[in-house]
Amino acid sequence: MLINSENIDDKNLIPITNKPHALLPFLQSQSATSLSRLYQSPSSCLSIFRLLDSVERQLAMNLLWLESAISLTTMGAWVVQDKKKVYDDALDMLSRLHILHIQSGKLSLNTTFKTSLRHAITGGGITGSFGVPAEKDEKRPPMDIEGLDGYALERWETILHFMVSSGTGQNPTRPSQGVLYLLQRSGLMSNQHGSLPQITSAGFQFLLHPPHAQLWDLLLQYLHMAEERQMDLVEVLTFFFMLSTMELGREYLTENLSQTQKAMLDDLRDYGLIWQRRASSRRFSPSRLATTLTSSSPSLPTSTGTASSLQQGFIVLETNYRVYAYTDNPLQTAVLNLFVSLKYRFPNLVVGSITRDSVRRALNNGISAEQIISYLTTHAHPQMRKFVSLSCAYFFSRLNPLIPVTVQDQIRLWELEKERLKSQEGYLYTAFASQADYEFVLAYAKQLDVVLWENSAKRCFFGSLEGHSNIRSFIERRTSGGN
Amino acid sequence: MDGSHLSVVVDLCPSQWHFSSLHQPYPLNLGSFFSQLLAFLNAHIASRHENSLAVFGAFPGKSVLLYSSADLSSETPSNDANSFPPFKMVDSTIMHNIVQHLDTLTQDPDEEEAPSALVGALTKSLCYINRLTLDFNASTANATEGLEPLTLSDPRILILSVSPDQTAFYIPVMNSIFSAQKLKVTIDACQIYGPETVFLQQAAHLTGGSYIYLERRDALLQYLTMAFLPPPSIRQTISVPTQDKIDFRAACFCHKNIVDVGFVCSVCLSVFCQPVPVCSTCRTKFPIKSLQRLNAARSSLPLSSASQSRNPSTPSTPQKTNGRASATPLRSETSLGPGGLPHTGSTNIKGSFQTNGAKNGLGLSR
Repeated sequence: MLINSENIDDKNLIPITNKPHALLPFLQSQSATSLSRLYQSPSSCLSIFRLLDSVERQLAMNLLWLESAISLTTMGAWVVQDKKKVYDDALDMLSRLHILHIQSGKLSLNTTFKTSLRHAITGGGITGSFGVPAEKDEKRPPMDIEGLDGYALERWETILHFMVSSGTGQNPTRPSQGVLYLLQRSGLMSNQHGSLPQITSAGFQFLLHPPHAQLWDLLLQYLHMAEERQMDLVEVLTFFFMLSTMELGREYLTENLSQTQKAMLDDLRDYGLIWQRRASSRRFSPSRLATTLTSSSPSLPTSTGTASSLQQGFIVLETNYRVYAYTDNPLQTAVLNLFVSLKYRFPNLVVGSITRDSVRRALNNGISAEQIISYLTTHAHPQMRKFVSLSCAYFFSRLNPLIPVTVQDQIRLWELEKERLKSQEGYLYTAFASQADYEFVLAYAKQLDVVLWENSAKRCFFGSLEGHSNIRSFIERRTSGGN
Repeated sequence: MDGSHLSVVVDLCPSQWHFSSLHQPYPLNLGSFFSQLLAFLNAHIASRHENSLAVFGAFPGKSVLLYSSADLSSETPSNDANSFPPFKMVDSTIMHNIVQHLDTLTQDPDEEEAPSALVGALTKSLCYINRLTLDFNASTANATEGLEPLTLSDPRILILSVSPDQTAFYIPVMNSIFSAQKLKVTIDACQIYGPETVFLQQAAHLTGGSYIYLERRDALLQYLTMAFLPPPSIRQTISVPTQDKIDFRAACFCHKNIVDVGFVCSVCLSVFCQPVPVCSTCRTKFPIKSLQRLNAARSSLPLSSASQSRNPSTPSTPQKTNGRASATPLRSETSLGPGGLPHTGSTNIKGSFQTNGAKNGLGLSR
């Protein structure tokens, strides 16, 4: 696997600049006043700081301990010349988040943000933004981490499983009304056909996302919904960030929460982000879904039985389109069923094959070929990664792909196949009295450039919709003029 | 592995810290040093959820692991709604361990005299990173399939030193540097108090790290944040200070003095401050003729001031050449006949060139 580095186009090797986190555009759209209210909480500052890109983080850190503003040129002197764009983008992002002020050539951090982040790092302050932990209760010990993981997994998979099996005739457990409403609001499911909600094409795409992105997708929708429900967005966000800095396996008190935040407890319980003994309980424990909100570590515990199948990947795909999925998880099986026709099922293994029909079914559901391939790639079994070591998978992916090239290309071809037929509305002109009439009208239609198809032997042609009125009046004029 | 690993080696020599707190201008005592260091450590953990941290303390005569994010202690920090639990954990664990070790130190006055075990701490931190790498490889099931072992994404070591170079530890330091190069570990070094150290400069240079001699001790935290917080991947975008001048001098193997001009065994590259008849490392015998010639040449040259003060038998340059290494291989009459390879002999080099990772150290002089 030795590669001459000169052969690789440099541009293809620099897509390392990741997309910004899904939440950041939302934050940018908020007003400066609500952002500065948000920045009053140290835990929010810390969480937002973690969501930033590495260069942005470093820039914020450089300014954090400075009392006075620093000139742009001084800061720019630290930047490597050919990475100027990365630096400018970072400055731009920070200033749009109102974290950074650029005034008359001087850089400084937002004072509120600075104070709060300093508090977060050094401790102190009286904001209580990291949540008030509950004293240990001997009679009722808090839920242990295993229990919390099981609970979060169960809740989350209920939602996904409900989505994936809607319309298949199965009757999985229905998630709560709040979740259903959120799914419909976000356009992941629609309620057109009778009472049972149906999954939409956006919903199918959602299912193939990694869990972290799924969670943030839903939370973003929750934020949009909160706006409509007249909830205070800043309090909603503060609570999310507070949850993300909490410790797994610890109980916290609800007393210091605001009214809005207390109302959120119900919703978040439904999503599996927090656990409460009873709905009226004054304590709550965040689950792993909540505490990993601002990290990239797996947000869901590995499912029972197949150890670490979520991180390690479980799919083996052969060049003959056969798929072996080492899983006993009904959700994973159901997701695979979206684009694989399953053949056999064993306690820990599902065998199927990718066929034209199964892929077309997925394509009709709105899933794209790229999404199928990326799902297969992210969940590929370690055995498939054997020849592509992790660290260089990035660079070699184009040369030595994880997924057999034949299969990849075929899936893409099937997608193209779907686009083979193009429908266009129009009119068919037939039954011309003579060949001369036919040719005369055809010549006129060709002038207008509206002919889609013609057959002189049968004396007919097909014109597009927009040309019809012209052709029609032309024929009428001719017939009346002829008489 | 998304997070980056940082091992910090802290020099905790009580006497040096005492001098540092009295030094004018910009005194820095241990207390304010720690408040700034902890803020820096927290900033590292704050950057990413996955970042890992280990802190090693170099006490006089012993080195101790003060904190490691890998082994979570069972004791949970006290309930506090105003601080992030991991930060609190770092702060309390480090301070608790330091106080404990300093207490045992005062009970044993002999130990207090010993120089701080910076090398021991450095070696331990390298072993720690090696262990992390092994664990990481085992978890990805890569090792079992006979693949090239993966390395952690940019692990690095930051040495915060207040002691002067301990020339006796020249060889262990160089060996640590070579191990770091092999493990692809970046070593950053910051000399907070005391004279510039030759060894730490070389460590930073050879591993692609950054070396800073702290002049404004009141701005320690800002220095730490700007120069040592960015992991190597960011340093491609936001540069960190690098040295424009590196002291490449080596310490001789015989008296452990830092020498300007050394005599290098042509077999094993051991460095000596004066011509020796037998190499103490590889037992190679040098012919008496070459010894005489080197001694004669040495005395004819001006003495370098640095070695003069320290060495009773002062070495000097026997041959002047410009820039390039000038070896004076002398044929051993015993082992090889005329025309044999220049196998033994005493070499003398002048000029500065980079090490090729020789086993026993550098044969360099300025």
